[in-house]
Amino acid sequence: MAKRQLRFRSITFTVNLFLVLALAVGVGLVMVAFTYSLLASRNQLTRSSLLQQGNIIYTSIANFMLPGDAPLAVKFVGQISISSPESSISLYRRDGVPAFSDNATIERVNTNLREAKFSPRAQAASQAARPSTPRFKEASSNPPSEVFFQESSGGNSYFRAYRPLINLPKCAVCHGSDHTVRGVIDIRSDVTSVIRTQNLTIAGGAVGFLVVVGLLAFLIGSFLRALVLSPIQSIGSLCTQVTSGSFEGRVDVRGKNEIGDLARTVNQMVGGLRERFELTKYVSRGTIGALTEGQKPQRVQRTLLFTDVRGFTAYTERHEPERVVRALNRLLERQSEIIHEWGGDIDKFVGDEVVAVFAGEDASTRACRAARDIVRLCAMRPADFDGLSVGIGAASGPIIQGMIGSERRADFTVIGDSVNIASRLCSIAKAGQVIVGDSAKAAAGAEFAFKGPFGAKLKGKAAPQKVWLLLTGAGPG
Amino acid sequence: MKGMPRYSPLTAVAVALALLAGCSRAPEEIYAPADYPTWERTTSITLNYPIPGHENRLRIPRMNAKGFSAIPARVGSGLKWDFPEDTVIVKEVYATANPAPGDKPVQLTIMAKDPNDKRAQAGWLWITKDLPDGKETVFTGNFCVTCHANANEKHPYGDGNSNEDFRDYVYFVPGEAAK
Repeated sequence: MAKRQLRFRSITFTVNLFLVLALAVGVGLVMVAFTYSLLASRNQLTRSSLLQQGNIIYTSIANFMLPGDAPLAVKFVGQISISSPESSISLYRRDGVPAFSDNATIERVNTNLREAKFSPRAQAASQAARPSTPRFKEASSNPPSEVFFQESSGGNSYFRAYRPLINLPKCAVCHGSDHTVRGVIDIRSDVTSVIRTQNLTIAGGAVGFLVVVGLLAFLIGSFLRALVLSPIQSIGSLCTQVTSGSFEGRVDVRGKNEIGDLARTVNQMVGGLRERFELTKYVSRGTIGALTEGQKPQRVQRTLLFTDVRGFTAYTERHEPERVVRALNRLLERQSEIIHEWGGDIDKFVGDEVVAVFAGEDASTRACRAARDIVRLCAMRPADFDGLSVGIGAASGPIIQGMIGSERRADFTVIGDSVNIASRLCSIAKAGQVIVGDSAKAAAGAEFAFKGPFGAKLKGKAAPQKVWLLLTGAGPG
Repeated sequence: MKGMPRYSPLTAVAVALALLAGCSRAPEEIYAPADYPTWERTTSITLNYPIPGHENRLRIPRMNAKGFSAIPARVGSGLKWDFPEDTVIVKEVYATANPAPGDKPVQLTIMAKDPNDKRAQAGWLWITKDLPDGKETVFTGNFCVTCHANANEKHPYGDGNSNEDFRDYVYFVPGEAAK
């Protein structure tokens, strides 16, 4: 199965995204509810108002009509329209024909009353346009119902109500009983300015919403960044520095909270790491390796390299301590570099003496290369080391490697015959000489030239030992 | 747990909602019971003349005993009727003015006195019952009450209420039956 690749996503981005979404949804829902409520409230108010107007007009017209004062009803409707320019009121017969536009009603009433009670008019009192039919039919059907709707015309918005005029039993005397609806009152209210104002309010609300969301996201984001994200970034940066080997940095967080505690802990941890790192300079790699890989003593094949400054005691007596230490440290430093360069491990410094261990199949070869380079360096740059030079001994063989010392103070070091032999060879080597044991010489390979063999009488050995002088191309060797 | 059926939280929520919905729905009241034809008619007049709303279709109104127990109060020189709560008047509406014997009404229009019901207008619920599916619908428009408001004034039906008594929106009050 293919492994899913996780993409890095900044916490700052994630938190801000979450905030913006949460605010947008939360405040957005409030805005939508507010807008919906506003529109519903407006519609309800307008509807109630129009229906109330319809009821008043209905009652007025009914009261005009009952005593037979239809002309007064016509005048009434006309005057209301004049006094309220935003509203128009029209009266229609049930078939949609504008009321009083002809003499049909008058003639019918006279017929029902069997007398010419009302005189036909010479001129129509109203010439209103016919209303839209589907809703009008709904209002004038049986049973009739009040119809309220919204429409647009000529760039304006209108709320409109159809209020049916019911043919009440008391009306039936004049108008007859064969129909239920006498006509329809049409009330139209121009709400263009109201809607415009409301749209502006909603638009303002939307802009306000966006500003509030943006501002809140910015403020909360900044707050979180200052309080949490920046310190975490600083801690992460410090960890990166530590990973790359630099222990100098520290997190500058002073807050007395969880993040501050974390920063202080990280600073302490890095301080501890720095101390341990510094300490590694004073112990061998073998010691460090033993700490991680185990400290069980073991017999191993190694090549030992001993170097010792020749004439050092006399030198120390002739010069100031600072000069002595400076020259010695410089020499030891360069020797260390060369030994490390060839894969050796500094086991210990004993005064002006260096003990190095080489492991691996080509240990002798690398030990000889290190010895050759050290000798050449001293020969080529004597001024760098105030004229000091070293004698070197090298030997290969089985040794015992383990933690040697007391419980309070111990070294992971090497002991054994080859160690002693290398030390003895070093002690008989003159300045600039590299004396190599027979087994080390055999393992070093054809890369090197040797002079010998010589028989060397070494301390602790009854028989003379077969040794070789490595020809380094420098000094007496 | 082994052996126990597993229910998701969604199922639990759905069951809870269903139970709540079931609890909140009150059984619908039937205003025109099956035995309403045994109720007494409110008038002996044959109502097959055309009137607004029902046009020229035969109407036969009947009222339950509760309604007939109403006694009007005397107010000045007139009477004021206030039918008791739970009065029900069922008006059978036929398809034509002169239906054949055995014809059934096509619709029932019902007045039920229930002033505490928020749908009541002038103290009455105005209901239509479609036949034969028997579905009763409370009428929310004001058409019925507007028309019946004329019962409280002079009108062209029955005794005409020439005294303009308040008849609680009922055209044929008890006593009218004999007329």
